[in-house]
Amino acid sequence: MRPTSPAPGHLSRRTLLTSAAALAAASPLLGACGSALTPGAKSSATPSSSGPVSTAVPTGKITLVVADADDTTMTPGLLAAFHAKYPNVSFKRQYTGWDDYLKSVNTTMSADSAPDIAQFVSGMQNLVKGGLLLDMSRYGTAYGWADTFPGLDQITFSADGRTTGTGALYGVPGGLSYEGVYYNKSRVRKLGITVPPATVTALEELFAKAKAAGETALVAGNLDGGLNHPFNVLLSAYLKPADRQAWAFGHKGAKITGPEAVTAATTLKRWIDNGYVTPKVNGVSDNDATAAFAKGEGVFRISGNWAAAAVAKGQGSNAGLFPMPPATAGSTLRTTGAGVYYCVSSRTENAAAAAAFLDFCATGQAAAVTAKAGFMAPDASAMPAQSGLLGDVATGWQAIAKDSGLQPFIQNASTPTMPDTLTTQLQLLAGGKVSVEKFLAALQADFDQYHS
Amino acid sequence: MTATTHPTPDRTVGPVRARAIGARPPRAPGRARTLRRRRRAVALLYLLPALLPYTLFAVAPALHTAYLSLFDWDGVTLPSFVGGANYRRVLTDPQLRAAAWHAGALIVFFSVLPICLGLVAAAIVARRPGRRGTSAVRTLLFLPQVVPLVAVAVIWRWVYADDGTLNQALRALGLGSLADSWLGSFTWALPAVGLIGTWVVAGLCMVLFLSGTQRIDREIYEAARMDGAGPVREFWSVTVPLLRPEIAVALSITVIAALSSFDLIYITTGGGPGNSTVVPGVLIYRLAFGGGQVGLASALAVVLTLVISAAVLVINRLAREAP
Repeated sequence: MRPTSPAPGHLSRRTLLTSAAALAAASPLLGACGSALTPGAKSSATPSSSGPVSTAVPTGKITLVVADADDTTMTPGLLAAFHAKYPNVSFKRQYTGWDDYLKSVNTTMSADSAPDIAQFVSGMQNLVKGGLLLDMSRYGTAYGWADTFPGLDQITFSADGRTTGTGALYGVPGGLSYEGVYYNKSRVRKLGITVPPATVTALEELFAKAKAAGETALVAGNLDGGLNHPFNVLLSAYLKPADRQAWAFGHKGAKITGPEAVTAATTLKRWIDNGYVTPKVNGVSDNDATAAFAKGEGVFRISGNWAAAAVAKGQGSNAGLFPMPPATAGSTLRTTGAGVYYCVSSRTENAAAAAAFLDFCATGQAAAVTAKAGFMAPDASAMPAQSGLLGDVATGWQAIAKDSGLQPFIQNASTPTMPDTLTTQLQLLAGGKVSVEKFLAALQADFDQYHS
Repeated sequence: MTATTHPTPDRTVGPVRARAIGARPPRAPGRARTLRRRRRAVALLYLLPALLPYTLFAVAPALHTAYLSLFDWDGVTLPSFVGGANYRRVLTDPQLRAAAWHAGALIVFFSVLPICLGLVAAAIVARRPGRRGTSAVRTLLFLPQVVPLVAVAVIWRWVYADDGTLNQALRALGLGSLADSWLGSFTWALPAVGLIGTWVVAGLCMVLFLSGTQRIDREIYEAARMDGAGPVREFWSVTVPLLRPEIAVALSITVIAALSSFDLIYITTGGGPGNSTVVPGVLIYRLAFGGGQVGLASALAVVLTLVISAAVLVINRLAREAP
């Protein structure tokens, strides 16, 4: 291509030599890799699943390796509190940033040197099939976790890992999070409206009043799919819990195209079309929406308790929160939420100590640590009293925990591709590119493709 | 990549051979052959430091990817062999086809626009008699290349935001009605992202062409002017044909950048709104790291590599033809 390039004959001979050398260098390499070329995990020896287990904390000197992506003070705080209570058990924590953790944790858990305890994230269900997670059902029974932890169904999996909510228990939540409705107190006062509304319809009437007064009623951002927050809680409000659970957990034959789901999606679409939601919502990121609300824009915002710190920083005592109202007045409160769950490697040699740590997460001692980090403690009643917005968040959590109203995000466990599909489809819905029916059908198509 | 490393070993081998043949009397043919073979072995030895890491870290993973593309694998459990099924899906999936179209559209923004801009800029600079200030201009234009693409993307997210600099400028000019949420618009998201690419790549093209014009003999311009050529005629008859090698290099680099784009799109729109800015790179990432479909992602990566290689081959073949 340049005048300096060598004659064609010369080039081809050298190319030949080079490729021959490359092959020669590569072949022993490929040979050495052998089985490593498809490094899938063979089912490792699953420990016997029968026989009683002890709930006594082992007395010998034990070191547990913990892998997590928890950037709050919760995980280190819980580890320190447990070590203070049982000095013979010490921890070696391997913290990894969230994005890197998501990508690397399955390989980490497949390694011979897998950590004893790991933070469970969506996608680790695949480890169940490979026998790489320890079935904690017997410890659960022995400790009575069903009574002390909410949200255990989110870490219960079938043997192939494809279905959540049925099968064996693989861990417990250290701290939980839930979606609620934030509101700007001074705006609400100025509009002369009272909160909390009794039903979703009543909430929508408040939106209409705010809009009529020239305010952004519901602050949202959908550049990265943030409309999934209102959509998830609307599904929680309208769907029968069993139906919603079945779909979110990927149960075979579950449908999201029924009349209740249509009502939920139509409601969201109406909020957008009536101008209640932030205009040009597809161009605003979810974080920017929280920032705007914290700066004082708009009247309401549907988001999780993880945003409470940012909102409180911006609005102080001017911000409040109430749980998502139900579809019909007086029925149980239901909302969407997730949590930081811990699971145990099947390769651990200290299963009893690991189980003891998991059990510790439900104690009042742990609740203080969890609440301080901004999470909801498994034992809602043990959460320390707080004032202002954080007090509202704790009160809301107690109401939801009492009604057992915590439901999973539909995109987290239904199929691996659902987060992207839901984002794409919500943008199409908000942009007026698809009808409500087509929107739901597209979600169902992703579901059916994976669970066929 | 290999093409650029070739000349170096060639030059070291050349003089050695010349001296050997010139200094020593001819020997028996058998002896000469072993000597030649030994020399070839020595040449290979020189290549080894570059060849070994290249093989280990570029060739082997590429071959591994091709191998994985024949499996249905979630990245964790044992894979199952599916043969060409992944490739069949790559060629038929409508979302993948949309991604291919978007990548094609990006070529306009990553290649055509920057090269046109670069050529015009180079022509203007080349016509100036003195060349003072050229290096300052060059530094300024090259700046976007120095900033990491992720940072570029974050900056442009602010520019394109609803209350970002672009809309502020429009409103200040009294054109507030044109203001839009650019990255959230089904019409504008792809051009908006493409123009970021133009901004990044244009500087590289200009610098490339500027150095190219310095190679062009000024007498050619003078001769053209004597023959009565105006600036436009000069541009088409002198600057463009003589910059042919640089244009080929710029085209190769920018087409590769357009087809394999990932970071810009991922940070600005993530493929949205809807699927309006999805490109193959984003899909590969989604499938492999979120979707648990490593085999399909590998197949898409292999096809993308082949398409890019074919495009670059065609560009180089066209560039080599006599004008």
